Amino acid sequence: MAALSWTTAARIASRELRASRGKFLFVILSVAIGVAALTGVRGFSTAFRQTLMVRARSILAGDLAARMFQQPSDAQQKQLEALTANGTKMTSVTEMAAMATAEHSLDPLLVALKAVDPSKYPFYGTVDLQPTMPLRQAIGGENVAVGDDLLIRLKLHVGDRIQLGDATLRIAAVVLSEPDRLSGSFAAGPRILLSQDQLEQTHLLAAGSRAGQRYLFMLPKRDDRAVAKLKTTLEGFLPEAQITDYRETNPAITMALDRATGVLSLVSLVALVLGAVGVAMAMRTHLLERMDSIAIMKSLGARSSHVLRIYLVQTVLLGLIGGAVGVALGVGVQLVLPLLLAKLLGITPELHIAASAIVAGLVTGLLTTLLFTMPPLLDIRGVRPILILRRNVDDLEEKGTAANLFARMKASFAQVVAGALILLGITLIATTLSDSKVVGRVFTIGLAAVLVVLLIASSVVLALLRRFLKSTRASLQPVVRHGLANLYRPGNPSAALLAAVGLGVMQIASVFFLSQALVKELKLSTRPTLPNVFLIDVAPTEVEGVTALLKAQPGVQGEPEMLPVVASRIIAVNGVKASELKLENFPKRMLQSISLTWVDEMPPGTKVVGGKFWHSGDPHPQVAIGQRMSERLHVQLGSYILFGAPGDPDHPINAEVTAIIKSDGQHAWSRSEFLLPKSALAGLPVVYYGGAHADPAHVGELQRALFAKYPTVTVINVAQAMETLRGVLLQVSLVVQFLAGFSIFAGLVILASAIAGTRYRRMREVVVLKTLGATRSRIAAIFSIEFATLGLIAGLVGLVFANLTVRVVLSRLDLDYHFLGWVNVLSLIAVMALTVLTGWLASYRVLGQKPLEVLREE
Amino acid sequence: MDDLRKSIRNGSRTVEILRGISFDVAAGEFVAIVGSSGSGKSTLLGLLAGLDTPTAGNVILNGTAISYLPEDKLAEVRGKLIGFVFQSYQLIPTLTALENVLLPHELNAPANEQKAGRARALELLQAVGLGERAEHYPVQLSGGEQQRVALARAFILRPPIVLADEPTGNLDSKNGAHVMDLLLDLNQREGTTLVLVTHDPAVAAHATRVLTVRDGEVIADERKLVEQV
Repeated sequence: MAALSWTTAARIASRELRASRGKFLFVILSVAIGVAALTGVRGFSTAFRQTLMVRARSILAGDLAARMFQQPSDAQQKQLEALTANGTKMTSVTEMAAMATAEHSLDPLLVALKAVDPSKYPFYGTVDLQPTMPLRQAIGGENVAVGDDLLIRLKLHVGDRIQLGDATLRIAAVVLSEPDRLSGSFAAGPRILLSQDQLEQTHLLAAGSRAGQRYLFMLPKRDDRAVAKLKTTLEGFLPEAQITDYRETNPAITMALDRATGVLSLVSLVALVLGAVGVAMAMRTHLLERMDSIAIMKSLGARSSHVLRIYLVQTVLLGLIGGAVGVALGVGVQLVLPLLLAKLLGITPELHIAASAIVAGLVTGLLTTLLFTMPPLLDIRGVRPILILRRNVDDLEEKGTAANLFARMKASFAQVVAGALILLGITLIATTLSDSKVVGRVFTIGLAAVLVVLLIASSVVLALLRRFLKSTRASLQPVVRHGLANLYRPGNPSAALLAAVGLGVMQIASVFFLSQALVKELKLSTRPTLPNVFLIDVAPTEVEGVTALLKAQPGVQGEPEMLPVVASRIIAVNGVKASELKLENFPKRMLQSISLTWVDEMPPGTKVVGGKFWHSGDPHPQVAIGQRMSERLHVQLGSYILFGAPGDPDHPINAEVTAIIKSDGQHAWSRSEFLLPKSALAGLPVVYYGGAHADPAHVGELQRALFAKYPTVTVINVAQAMETLRGVLLQVSLVVQFLAGFSIFAGLVILASAIAGTRYRRMREVVVLKTLGATRSRIAAIFSIEFATLGLIAGLVGLVFANLTVRVVLSRLDLDYHFLGWVNVLSLIAVMALTVLTGWLASYRVLGQKPLEVLREE
Repeated sequence: MDDLRKSIRNGSRTVEILRGISFDVAAGEFVAIVGSSGSGKSTLLGLLAGLDTPTAGNVILNGTAISYLPEDKLAEVRGKLIGFVFQSYQLIPTLTALENVLLPHELNAPANEQKAGRARALELLQAVGLGERAEHYPVQLSGGEQQRVALARAFILRPPIVLADEPTGNLDSKNGAHVMDLLLDLNQREGTTLVLVTHDPAVAAHATRVLTVRDGEVIADERKLVEQV
C-alpha cells in the first residue's frame, strides 16, 4: 500500500483546521498566550535589565575601574595603553586632596580635587551641573566646576575665581551630581572638578604626592565575559590596584539585579511552562474530540502512522500559527508595557525587538507544542476502530493475558519516554532561555519532582476516592457521590487536569512568593532613612550637639547614627609582619591607615557569616571583620591581628578574629570593617563619624547650619547619588511586581482555559442528566464538588512544591524564606474558587443548551 | 468465518457474545444477518471487518486469516478490501461531503492517482443524488443524505466487499427505502459482495441469503435461490 504522502496528510490536516475554526482558535490562543507571555516577559525584562545595567555602569562611570594609589610605572603604563588596541576605551581620573583659597583671601580650605578628561569622562552617566551645561564647557581652559559646599565655605559665587596651587581658576558651574560619586574615593572637603591639563598647571601633582589614580574602561561591546577577562588581565599586571567591575561597585544594586534576574527569569520560565500546559491541555482535548474521526479513518483503512502524520502536521501548523500570533502579541506587550511603565518609573527601557527573540518565541512555541502534544498523539496508536460500533469500549476484558500486558507496558513505556523527552526539552529550553543558571536548574528539578508527585498523588487520590465511595456509597448525598465519582469516571481527564492545575498552582505561587520576598528585601534597601549624608571628624565633645542639630533639621529623617572611630594600623597578622603579608588586591600602604570601631552589641544591619559576635562586656580582645576585608587580608576565624594603638606604641592590641560579618550597606556602620569591643580600645583617642538621612533638597541647608556651628566637621554629601540608587532599586521592585503580576494573570487565564477546554467532554453527560430530569442547579452542584476536590488536591500539592522551590531559590539568592501561613491558606481557597468558577463558566453554555441540540450533533 | 468466539468481561462477569460461529460467504453474494437487539450481530460484523479481535476463531478474507493481524495490517486490509456503511453514518463532521467520500482514496491510493479519485467521488455523489451538495458539511445534510454520502464513501475504492451495519436503522421508512435502493444499485453496478446486518425484515428481504443470529449462535441460514436467477 502506498504510504500517505506528506502533502496529502497536510491537505487532510488543513481541511480540518478550516472546518472547525472555533475550536482551533482556542488551541491557537492557548499556544499564543503562552508564547506571548514568554516573549513579552522575557523581552521586556531583558530590555529592562540592560537599561539597569547601564545605570549600574554609570555608578562606576565605566565597565571597569582600576584604582591605584600611586602613579603606574612606565611598563604598566605601556600595558595599559596596549589594552586600548581592540577598541576598549580608557580614561584616567586623578583624585587628591589639596588646599584652595578664594582669589583675594588667604583662608585655605581642604578640597577634594578630581581631574578628568572631559572628552571621555564619564563613559556612562552624566555630570549634572548648575547652570546646565556639558562638562566640556564647564572645565578646561580656566573653568572649573565646584561643589556647592565650597561656595558656602569660601563665600563665593559662580563666576568667582579661586587659587589652586599655581593656577587661578574660574568657577563656571556647581557640580550637582557625579555618576561615580559612590565609587570614587571619599576624600574630605568640597569637590573641585577640573581637567587633567589644568591639574598639571597647578603643579600640585608632584612625584610622591598622595594622589589616587583611577582608570576607567569601556569595552567596545557590553559583554560580561569580556569584562571578566579584562579584569583578570588588569589584576595580572597591576597587583597593587583595586580592580572593580560595574557589578561590584554597589553591592545593593548588584544584589538587587542578581535577584531580580533570578526572579524574572523564573517568571518567564513559568510563563513558558504555563503556556505549554495550556497547549498540552488544549491539544489533548482537541485530540480526544477527534478520537471518533480517527476511529472512522482507521476503519476506512488508515494506518496509525497515517493518522499520526496527519495530526503531527496539524500540530506543527497549530504550533506555528499560535507561535506567530504569540510573538506578535508578545512584541505588542513589549511595546505597550514600557509606555505604561514610563509614567510610573520615569525611565524608558531601550526598545530593540531582536530577531533572535522572535525566533526564540517561534521555536519555543513550536517545540513546547510538539513536546506536550506527544502523549496524546501517542494515544492515537491505541484508538481502535471498533469505537464506531461500540462506544466506550472498556479494555478490561483482556487485562490478564500476557500479550496484553506486554502491549500495555510498551504503551506506557512510550509514554514514559515521551515524559522524559518533555522534561529534557523543558530543561533545554529553560537553560537556554534562563538568564540565571541557579534558577534554571532549580526550576527543572522542581518541575520534574512536582510532575512525578502529582501523577502519583492523583492516582493514589483517585484510587482512595474509589474505595471510599464503594464503602460509603449509600450514606453519601447523591450530589456529593456523583461529583466525586465524576473524578475517576473513565474518559474524564482528571489526572491530566490535576497535573496541569497542580503545576500551574506551583508555578504561579512560586512567582508570587519569590517576588514578594524580593520586593520585601528591596523595600528595606529603598527605605527613605538610609544615610546619605556622612559627617567626618566629629569630636567626642561635639557628638551630642551635632546629633541634636541634625535631628532639628527639617530635611533629616530617622535617627542620625554616630560611630566612634580609632585611627590605627595593622602591625602583623598571625605574627607575620605587615610588610611581609600576602594580600589580595589590597595595597600594603592601606594597612598603615585603618579605622577601628568599638561596639558592645552587634550594630544594626550586620549579619554574622562566620563565628560568633561577642556579648556585651566580654573583656577578651577580639575583632569582628568584614567578609571582604577578611578575604583581602587572608584571615580566618581564630587568626590574630595586631593593631597599633595610636599614641601608645608599646601596647598594641592583639585581637582574635571571632566573627566574620557582612553588612547590608544600609547604615553608617556598614563602612566599618573592623569592630572591636569597647574594652579593647578603652582610653585611645577617638573621633566620631556620623551618618544621617536628609532630603536631597535640604542638604545644602544642613551643610550651612553645620558649618556655622561646627566648622571643623566635614560633610560628605552623597544624597544625589543615593537618590539615583534608590530610584533604580524602586524600579527593580516595581518591574518585578509588575511582571510577576502579569505572568500570574496570564497563568490564571491559561489554567482557566485548560479547565474550560474539558467542556466538550461534558456535553453528553449534561444532556443525559437533563433528560433524566436533573435541574441545572443540581448539575452545577455536581460539577462544583468535582472541581472543588480537584482544586483542593492540585492546590495542596502545588503549594507544597511552590514553598519548597521558593525556599531553595531564596537561599541561593541569599534571601530569607518565611512560610506565609495565611497566604498559603488563602491561595488554596483561591485555587478551589478558580477551579469551581471556571468549571461553571465552562459548563454554562452546555447547561443552557436544549438536550436535543446536543443529541443531534452527536 | 471459522468458529468465531467473542467474550467481554464486564466487571467481574464474563459475557459470551459470540459462541462459535462458522459460515462462508461466496464472492458476489448479498448476505443479510438478522437477529434481535443484543444477539451479537454487530459484534459479528465488527469481527468480519477486522475492527475488533475475536477471543477465539478466525476470519479468512480471500484466503488470508485476518483476525490476528497487527493493527496496521488490518488497516491495510480494510482499506483495500472492505467498504463500510454504518448505522449512524460516521461521517467526519469537519469534512465536506465530497471530502468525506474522498478520504479513503486519499488514505489508500498512491499519490499519482489523487486526481482520478476526485472525479470518481463526484461521480458517486451524483449517483446517490447529491452532486449538488458536494460542498456541504454533514451537519448541513439530513440523515438520509448523510447516509447516501456514506454509501458513496463505501464504494469509492471499488472494494470487493461492502459491510453495512443497520444502514437504514436511523432513517424513516421513505429515506430508508431510498438508501436501500441506492445500496443495492451500487452493489449491482460494482459487483461487490454485500454483508448487511439488520433487524428489519423488509431490508433482509432484498438479500440472497439470510443468516439469523440469536444468543451468539447462528440458528438459521436461508438461501433465496429464486432471486439469484
